[in-house]
Amino acid sequence: MSWLRIRELVRKEFIQLFRDKKNRPLLIIAPFVQLLVFGYVVTTDVRDVRVGVFDQAHTRESRLLLDDLDANRTFRITHYTDHPKELEEILLRRKVDLALKIGPEFSERIRSGDSAPVQIIADGSMSNMASMRIAYTSLVLDRFNQRMIEERYKQTLDYGKIDARIRTWYNPNLESRNFFVPGIVAMLLMILSLLLTSMAIIREKEAGTIEQLIVTPLRPIELIVGKILPYIIITQILIIIVTTFAIIWFSLPLKGNFLLLAVAACLFLVSTLGIGLFISTISATQQQAMMTTFFFIVPFFMFSGFVFPIASMPTVIQWLTYLNPLRYFLVIIRGVFLKGVGMGILWPQFLAMMVLGLVVFISAVKRFRKRLD
Amino acid sequence: MNPVTIKAIARKEFYHLVRDFRSMYLAFVIPLLMILMFGYALSLDVDSVKVVIVDHDKTKESRELAQKLNASAYFQIVRQLNDSLVAVRYLDQGLTTMAIVIPPGWTEDLKADREASLQVLLDGSDPNFAGISRGYITAFVEAYNRDQLLSFLNRKGMDEIKAPVDGRIRVWFNEDLESQNFIVPGIIAIIIMIVGAMLTSLVIAREYENGTMETIRSLPVGGGELLLGKAIPYFLIALTDVLVAVFMGQVLFGVVMKSSFCLLVLASTIYISVALSLGFLISIATKSQLVANQMAILITFLPSLLLSNFVFPIGNMPKIFQMLTYIIPATYFIDILNGLYLRGLGLSHLGQSYLILVGMLIVLSYAGFALLRKEGM
Repeated sequence: MSWLRIRELVRKEFIQLFRDKKNRPLLIIAPFVQLLVFGYVVTTDVRDVRVGVFDQAHTRESRLLLDDLDANRTFRITHYTDHPKELEEILLRRKVDLALKIGPEFSERIRSGDSAPVQIIADGSMSNMASMRIAYTSLVLDRFNQRMIEERYKQTLDYGKIDARIRTWYNPNLESRNFFVPGIVAMLLMILSLLLTSMAIIREKEAGTIEQLIVTPLRPIELIVGKILPYIIITQILIIIVTTFAIIWFSLPLKGNFLLLAVAACLFLVSTLGIGLFISTISATQQQAMMTTFFFIVPFFMFSGFVFPIASMPTVIQWLTYLNPLRYFLVIIRGVFLKGVGMGILWPQFLAMMVLGLVVFISAVKRFRKRLD
Repeated sequence: MNPVTIKAIARKEFYHLVRDFRSMYLAFVIPLLMILMFGYALSLDVDSVKVVIVDHDKTKESRELAQKLNASAYFQIVRQLNDSLVAVRYLDQGLTTMAIVIPPGWTEDLKADREASLQVLLDGSDPNFAGISRGYITAFVEAYNRDQLLSFLNRKGMDEIKAPVDGRIRVWFNEDLESQNFIVPGIIAIIIMIVGAMLTSLVIAREYENGTMETIRSLPVGGGELLLGKAIPYFLIALTDVLVAVFMGQVLFGVVMKSSFCLLVLASTIYISVALSLGFLISIATKSQLVANQMAILITFLPSLLLSNFVFPIGNMPKIFQMLTYIIPATYFIDILNGLYLRGLGLSHLGQSYLILVGMLIVLSYAGFALLRKEGM
């Protein structure tokens, strides 16, 4: 290996990359746009739950209940109606997420010590959101019940009950952004490195200049190193910029060590660059390379735990996710950002990513060299 | 408009498609994979929450609590631990979602009719997962306390206190709360965008790149005939994909449509046409396959995935993005799919969305046609 030859190739790559105007939006604008869109749009927070109310009682108690609901930051009563049909209609038209029906004998029943039924209809079409909304509603009802009982008996009943002190760690306010934005950084790293490496080699193939590179004294391993090195440098710089931007713009907490992230990113790059190299060996045109990259990215993305939790997948698929480098990188990047954990906790992920990366990279290099010879 | 010309162009385009293995792959394999992936493997629901228990009390009651938790369908005890610090390690490593610490003297408090505190540590990093898990544990504790209250009243010989308000929660539209029921229909919209817009975005650009656009111009073919002829094969492929997706959703995953099938076919026909016109428009405007492909991903695929109320509720987005969702065709198509699949709605409710899609179709196809004419077709 001659470093001089590699250096010249790296220099040529850089010149080529920045001379082509088409590359600029891909390199500079796309990452930021994606970060902003994902950061703002991808949320599963439960907030602003729209409630429609059909109150047949119109009494102090029913108003108290509705006030409790409306005062809760999660709920917002948007529709009052006097017709049961209209309540159904606004549910059907997706104007509300939750409908409340209070019967005419609501207060009489409560005052006589009986239970007053309140019908709550939840729009279940987004099942995960509905589950959370139902849980929040139950919470409001329970608090209301407690208040009513205390009011009625003028004393608190002291019976042995569990007082569950739920403390939410790592992301106390359950903000989607804190969970998704670090994941997007990982996604961007993967897309950029995959696309850039495969394109860099295909471009030479398409232009026919790969033949010229082969007849130069450049040895295959030098060619690979020289082709990959610029993209390692570029993606690393981009990731540092994007991460810093994300931390400042979305005021993300970074509890752990930034350096650890950089090390993880390097290890992750080994596998993605390997895959990029592999794609370049099976594609003839840039078009094909882009499509193939797309085919790789979608399953990597879906089966990484980025949006869909791995724990909710069937067991067989859960095993398969161990082959996905993005899975490990997401655990690391979220661990460092949210949990502030270090090597002591994350070493299995680092190890797995390294082994996976080396296997992928070495086999891709072997295949690539065979193609060159 | 000459039907013979259109047929000839359609046939040529069809041959192109069949010969290119990768396009066929994109047209048929990707949709199948997506349906399988989403129907079978990807879910936003929480089946059971992983729990580690640290029992410092070690009494009959505390063990019973653990058993009760494990017996419930919503929880799965991974490990019984003796040390809270080890439980923290489990949380840090992500081996458990929840750690429950039963402090010493817990049973004593319970028996002496005091509040017995239970420490629950929840991994909140995934807000969706954590929010649902929190709902499960709150409901579990409520049920436990209700039993406690009953036995307390029994002991004191008092009448049962009824809860003043009895919330009877019912779920409509997706009674079993399964995410498959809204994700599988939504996938149809994504598939149409991939097949319709991403494939067609390359079609005219390819003619420009190969220089065959000049040849076409010299032929007695009008712009409308060219677009229509090129659209037909893609239209048929997309429609086949939709039918396969509907069939697979129903047979494999039990996602049953509540409304009429004809309305779905009608909506798909309109939406496929919208996707095709969008693809053509991109293709004519960019004239380069590479740029067209990038544009197609950026303005058709990603918005349909993110800005369409598919998985991420529009109501949660900042105002500016909410406005943006109004011009995304997928928003209306997903609204229709949701209405047809889950709500059993008809044209009286969904008519507006149908009309908007038709309006978009007219605008987009006219824009494509006009652009092509400006190019001298």
